[in-house]
Amino acid sequence: MTRYANLTVPKRRLPVLAALAAALLCAAPLPAAAAGGPQAALGVANLERGVKAAYLFKFLGYVEFAAGADPAAPLVVGVMGADDVAAEVTRLTAGRTVNGRPITVRTLRDGDPSAGLHMLFLGAAAERPVQTLRGAAQNGVLTVTEDENGLQQGAIINFRLIEDRIRFEVSLPAAERSNLKLSSRLLSVAYHVQKGN
Amino acid sequence: MHITTIRPLVLAVLAALAVSAGTVASAAAAEPPQPGAGAQTGDLADLSLEQLNNVVITSVSRQEERLANAAASVFIISAADIRRSGARSVPEALRLAPNLQVARQTARDYAITARGFNGQFANKLLVMIDGRSVYSPLFSGVFWETQDVVMEDIERIEVISGPGATIWGANAVNGVINIITRSAKDTQGGLATVSAGNRERDATVRYGGVLGNGGHYRLYGRYTDVDDSERANGTPDASGLRRRQAGFRADWDRPLGGLTLSGDAYAIDLAQPGRPDAPLSGANLIARVTRKLTDDSDLRLQLVLDHVERNQPFAFIERLDVVDLDAQHSMRVAGRHNIAWGAGYRYARDRLTPSLVYGFLPAERSMHWGSLFAQDEWALRDDLRLTVGAKVEHNNYTGAEYLPNLRLAWSASPTQLVWGSLSRTVRAPSRIDRDYHTPAVPILIGKVPRFTVGGGPDFQSETANVAELGYRIQPSLEWSYAATAFYADYDRLRTQEPNVNGPAYSGLLEVRNMAAGQTRGIEMWARWQPVQSWRLNAGLVVQQVRTHLKEGSRDSSGSAGVATSDPNHYWQLRSSHDLPYDMQLDWTLRYTGALEKPAVPSYYELDAHWLWKPRPNVDVALIGQNLLHRSHAEFGAAPNRSVVQRSVVLKLTLRF
Repeated sequence: MTRYANLTVPKRRLPVLAALAAALLCAAPLPAAAAGGPQAALGVANLERGVKAAYLFKFLGYVEFAAGADPAAPLVVGVMGADDVAAEVTRLTAGRTVNGRPITVRTLRDGDPSAGLHMLFLGAAAERPVQTLRGAAQNGVLTVTEDENGLQQGAIINFRLIEDRIRFEVSLPAAERSNLKLSSRLLSVAYHVQKGN
Repeated sequence: MHITTIRPLVLAVLAALAVSAGTVASAAAAEPPQPGAGAQTGDLADLSLEQLNNVVITSVSRQEERLANAAASVFIISAADIRRSGARSVPEALRLAPNLQVARQTARDYAITARGFNGQFANKLLVMIDGRSVYSPLFSGVFWETQDVVMEDIERIEVISGPGATIWGANAVNGVINIITRSAKDTQGGLATVSAGNRERDATVRYGGVLGNGGHYRLYGRYTDVDDSERANGTPDASGLRRRQAGFRADWDRPLGGLTLSGDAYAIDLAQPGRPDAPLSGANLIARVTRKLTDDSDLRLQLVLDHVERNQPFAFIERLDVVDLDAQHSMRVAGRHNIAWGAGYRYARDRLTPSLVYGFLPAERSMHWGSLFAQDEWALRDDLRLTVGAKVEHNNYTGAEYLPNLRLAWSASPTQLVWGSLSRTVRAPSRIDRDYHTPAVPILIGKVPRFTVGGGPDFQSETANVAELGYRIQPSLEWSYAATAFYADYDRLRTQEPNVNGPAYSGLLEVRNMAAGQTRGIEMWARWQPVQSWRLNAGLVVQQVRTHLKEGSRDSSGSAGVATSDPNHYWQLRSSHDLPYDMQLDWTLRYTGALEKPAVPSYYELDAHWLWKPRPNVDVALIGQNLLHRSHAEFGAAPNRSVVQRSVVLKLTLRF
């Protein structure tokens, strides 16, 4: 016990500080309810997810997909590892069409096949992006990721946060491997286009 | 007495800011929605690609959310946080991390640590800039005045409090700071900034372009001029500096990997009391290759070359060369194992010319560190991950050191994580522990040559066993919260012991390992973004840092040995507003509790940053730091310690 004779920190202050901590951190959510209700709060803080969802919808109009049997069949968008984006895409494409085609959104889980999809968005929570992207490339799917190394992993389009804005970069070799033609307008808006080696 | 006069002022300022926040928020709500400002998601589908490109996102980054899965106490300082704080140096940017203690000692010297044991020569924190370790093998710490980065080029700073030794090795005892700069492809075009204030001035020019073979590059030059600060009695303390630095970074992205080359060179003049400035200079080069070997395996190779020259003729002259090679391979096995393993080798040659006052013996020393680590993150169930890892690191003072760790993370729900960890970590000896001698030439005591302090021939590694328990929750996108409780048991801490009857050429005092200690505490932070245009961050650390001398110790060093200088608690509250007319207002109120040895009173301070974008490529910022007092002390013994003074800076940024 004598070993601890040099203790210098007064013990009694800790409970006071803990209480202070609790008060400080618990005080924050209270005004949230008063600020404008959950609806208003949801609309604004989801902006990042909403912008990505809007981009996904826009991308469909700037890609030439391989002609299917039925040119009026719905465009199918798969979303994996980002249920919030899936919900947003579903919401904002409801009642809208791209080149006269309606849009169907599917929420996918790891291992689900990508056959039948036109576009696949892999969220940050997707578990095995490289395998999934490879499978999608074989099926001619337009793949979109939101990972620093998205293009390196094989995606065609990748979202980046650049100076507080959602920008996207494009890999032409990856698009070629999937037999997809991207419009020059899409490429002109991309902040970075990766060309072939 | 000091505090009671401050408190009403603090409250008044807080009240004023809260009121302004309220009016701003309601004003923003009343305005018609504009693309990018308050657009509802339904409208977003009607925007063009170009308009979507310009929607400003101020909410938390994905990176931060991905780290929600990390079983460690990690805080991410984002690029936006740094820009909005007005920080123009690495140590000032680190104040944004609630899990770091940052104390400014003089104009150029900082004491920075996590979880206690702070000091100018704090030695339990590992700091890396783009994977280059910037710790000095002289004292296992960081000379902060020689670390500079273009603030606009920082992508994020990861601050991990707690041990990170299994991945990062000895010295990552109390924390790891990872400063990560942006890829060259993300810094294209030109940038020029000029800052001028009453205490410091700096200017930066950076230009990024495309290389013929598919790569991108950037070049930068930077100049910093910091005035001396004052001592408590008003006299100047000769702690200013002038720094010139230039560098580059080039990145080549390939479908299955990439190559990064970067380098910096700097020259610094350190003000000296009554003497000519002391010149410091250095240069470094990093080459890093990443390669995807198969779908499930990645390889990273990195080479770092670093050269440092410190010419402080009245203290010491140092020439240090470092070569650092690092290889890491990660792979996924059987779907449930993420295995990472790697090896590193680091060589340093340190040549010191002593002054009259002290020296390092031997004056020239070659040092080697070799390491091998393996770690498996094993998904026991979908919601349960066990991480087991260990590192063996060999150094030429104490041989092999074992650095194991065990972590368990339970995703209680998609928005909640509970985690715990057990680690053993060490601080390996550095030259100051083993080789430091004063005076430089031994004195004769009874015809026997002796040093006053004769190094620490028997100094061993300091060790720590650490247990952590953490909880993180993000109930909604607007609101997140994290807390970590920690307990650490330190042993073989550094002391200075009398050695009166030692042999010739030994010290009357020797450095030994005769202290131990415990730290315990809790780190908490929260983020709340009630509306798109307003964000609040709060952080609090409550801690006990206890050290004691072991039986038989007669440590007398006080300041150099086992004494710690850590507050019982410190907190910060940071508010970020987006105002109409392309303006932003940020302020940070911070509090640091009193320090005991040497005694420093507790203090409150307020920093504020107002930014206006008159044109999309022009920023005008007004930055006020330490606004509540004309001056206050953050570290050091009275009455000779320096104080931190109020400062106001105007900063212009031009992108072209």
